Amino acid sequence: MDDLERVLKAHPFMADLEPDHVRFVVGCAKNVRFRGGEYLIREGDREDTLYLVRQGTVSVELRRPGGDAVCVETVGAGDVLGVSRLTPGAAHLDCRARDTVLAFALDNTCLLEKMQEDPRLGFALTMRLLERTYDRLSRARLQHLDVYK
Amino acid sequence: MMRPGPGGSAYVPAPMVIARAEHELPSVLTFTFDVPGGFHFHPGQFNMLYAIGVGEVAISISGDCAEPERLVHTVRAVGTVTRAMQSLGEGSVLGVRGPYGSAWPLDDARGRDVVFIAGGLGLAPLRPAILRVLRRRAEYGRVAILYGARSPEELLFREDLARWRGRLDCRLDVIVDRASLDWLGRVGVVTKLLDDTPLDPDDAVFVCGPEVMMRFVARELARRGVPGDAVWISMERSMRCGLGLCGHCQLGGSFVCKDGPIFRFDRVAPLLSVGEV
Repeated sequence: MDDLERVLKAHPFMADLEPDHVRFVVGCAKNVRFRGGEYLIREGDREDTLYLVRQGTVSVELRRPGGDAVCVETVGAGDVLGVSRLTPGAAHLDCRARDTVLAFALDNTCLLEKMQEDPRLGFALTMRLLERTYDRLSRARLQHLDVYK
Repeated sequence: MMRPGPGGSAYVPAPMVIARAEHELPSVLTFTFDVPGGFHFHPGQFNMLYAIGVGEVAISISGDCAEPERLVHTVRAVGTVTRAMQSLGEGSVLGVRGPYGSAWPLDDARGRDVVFIAGGLGLAPLRPAILRVLRRRAEYGRVAILYGARSPEELLFREDLARWRGRLDCRLDVIVDRASLDWLGRVGVVTKLLDDTPLDPDDAVFVCGPEVMMRFVARELARRGVPGDAVWISMERSMRCGLGLCGHCQLGGSFVCKDGPIFRFDRVAPLLSVGEV
């Protein structure tokens, strides 16, 4: 557990989080590993995990009408996946490991319980999730403008 | 004082024969003119290119200023004049006036880390600056080149990219807006590359691309502690005379052709969201 705590707090998403809060989050976290080609998230599946990527590249993919998939973004070390789904729901895209991916998997149900238990932790994590959500929204808008057309 | 162009007058285009015309992309053509007497310019400057009988457009110089005997322009077909240029090839003639405008402040950047951020065809006006910095590599700190394009198929200057990627003394990061699954590089917008780029308020950052992309980039840089006075952008407006006389490219109190196209970001930021000034 000490090792997990040590590496977890080194992830950018956890930066400057109070030590007590990191310990709280550790209770919801486990180390996961995906081989290249394996899916972290499948469209339509229940999305109940927040992934903090430590190593490797994940391809975020959407299937176009007609069946062929496109990669709309790649995420890597320091990034977070599953930001928009803190409450369990169906995933709207595929997230596939391009190579070996190491990540922390945070159980959303457990995380929500901890956030409700300690509102200061809740606030700190919500702010981080909002910031990541804003970043992604901002990038998606720029992408949508198709500025190089 | 108004400098005479290669035609002997600032108003008269000099006819120049295209020595090579190479398609970078289906709608993007790079013209090379052999200029035995040398065509001297500063990175960031542009020429007025005249498609005979059609019209004149401002096009940045995309060649190497250390090779003045070769003048290089990269042109994308977007309007009447540039579309007419797409039918030109080796042996065809274009009129050339210039060079005009301000340059990337590469001397001021000496001793500092330099970050080049290009989007799409914006790599063309930055290319002379990149080539010069890499040629005088010891004069600068760390050098990063961040390049965003629409798709893998639309990457420009592939030989340069391969060369830059192979250098140990600079860092090249490429990202595309969207890609099929067989693309092994990064996917997303160019601002995403800033996540992995060490940045410092004292860096010199040179940005060129569509105006909206440059705004997003400058905002992200500011968020990461790089102030607007450390960021330089290349502006594009409808230019006619190239001399600051006709007023077509007026941007607030400046003329893009004469006071630009290279501007310090904080000096033009309030005008970027204005459609017509």
